[in-house]
Amino acid sequence: MSTRAAIVTGGGRGIGRGIVDRLLTEKIRVLTCGRGARPSDLPSTVEWLQADVSKTDDAESIVAEAQRKFGDVTILVNNAGVQIEKTVDKTTDADWDLIMGINARGTFNMCRAILPSMERTGGAIVNIGSISGVVSDPSMAIYNASKAFVHSLTRSIAIDHGPNVRCNAVRPGWIVTAMAEDAFALAKNPAAAKADAIARHATGRLGRPADIANMVAWLVSDQAEFVTGQCFTCDGGLTAASPLQPGLF
Amino acid sequence: MSNMLSGKIALVTGGRGGIGRAICARFLREGATVFAADLTEEGTLSGEAESRFIKYDVTSEDDARAAMAKVAEECGKLDILVNAAGIEIEKTVEQTSLADWNRIFAINVTGTFLASKHALPLLRQGQNASIVNFGSYDGFIADPGLAAYCASKGAVHALTRAMACDHGPEGIRVNAICPGYIDTPMLRSFFRDVGDIETLDTAVRGVHPLRRYGTPEDVANLVNWLASDEARYASGQLWVLDGALTAQVQQMRI
Repeated sequence: MSTRAAIVTGGGRGIGRGIVDRLLTEKIRVLTCGRGARPSDLPSTVEWLQADVSKTDDAESIVAEAQRKFGDVTILVNNAGVQIEKTVDKTTDADWDLIMGINARGTFNMCRAILPSMERTGGAIVNIGSISGVVSDPSMAIYNASKAFVHSLTRSIAIDHGPNVRCNAVRPGWIVTAMAEDAFALAKNPAAAKADAIARHATGRLGRPADIANMVAWLVSDQAEFVTGQCFTCDGGLTAASPLQPGLF
Repeated sequence: MSNMLSGKIALVTGGRGGIGRAICARFLREGATVFAADLTEEGTLSGEAESRFIKYDVTSEDDARAAMAKVAEECGKLDILVNAAGIEIEKTVEQTSLADWNRIFAINVTGTFLASKHALPLLRQGQNASIVNFGSYDGFIADPGLAAYCASKGAVHALTRAMACDHGPEGIRVNAICPGYIDTPMLRSFFRDVGDIETLDTAVRGVHPLRRYGTPEDVANLVNWLASDEARYASGQLWVLDGALTAQVQQMRI
């Protein structure tokens, strides 16, 4: 049994699940969590805790439970996140509390809970930000801002908690998850919508959870031991190109 | 605001092109003495221009020396240098010949270098002297089939910061403006492959959060400010001016 153990927040589905599955292939023991019940298809080797990272007590419980099961936990992946499609003037206090609670405060809560022990044992934190924290998606104002918080917190943790703790972020682009498929299904012409989306990617396809998981796996490996304080975009070339492409009109 | 540049001496390369003319016109309205340096008196646009014309090929060091000598002789100093001369080559790296590459770098990068180098002695005689270079949003992200252009603008960005560091202690400010879509002959050429700017107008506007693309006057507004004493603490920065185009993620048609 490997001595490495990881916490991946929000690993029940989507990108988080991709990260959980990938870390398992690296012989890393994983505890993941979510606000709902344990997903029925989660591999039995994965520990599940029903918890809400936006709550300080829950974040501490997640770390305590992982340490109780595994001993030292040297990997934390802050993946849990929610999005909301609203402009600032339409955003309610409850929306703010939900989005900033999970995306921003949740990342902060988890880092704060694990840092004392991780500074002692050494370890790596990977936060999941977003290209939307660098360039904006329309009508996602608080989501965009919450991800910029994650990017900035990543740098601060890296410089404040080195040398034993490394902290980096991955900024995914358009990753095909159930959420993205729903968006295509709602389009007037789903096939044309998907073709247009693909044409905007230099890689000729949309992203998969495994693409993000590959980068996370590298960042927590010893291959990345000199890498800290950075945010890495993984978007198939989407944001390297101009938003205005006359060829796609 | 008016007379923001009263008493200032300015030289604008590419001063008879689409954006250069708008800058010269604005500088004149603000009270500056303006030298428009360009290949021909007419440049890429027709029409009268009141700026003083200097025949100038930005790739020629002799021309750079001669232009600055003319400014020295007539005015004894220079307060503002705008490096607006530039070209675009619509090719991928594979399609770009070495001659293409050398030509675009000679104009966009070497031209900025030579004018700045030979203007420095005169700028040291100026007041709150300011160099304004032309970068591009394409120095940060890519448009397809513009590889050498993107690279040349990235070089201008780096040169801007380097000159700002080296010559700040001498009281010379250096900034670059990085335009997005501006209605100029160069932009119309870029659109040629897929139509023309009139038929693409609605689509182009739609992608911009401000729902329009820029005009040479929009660019002149920012260049004027950077050249003026209002901007006396602004240096070493890359000023994106694109109607928020690149603040957004590419918008897919869902």
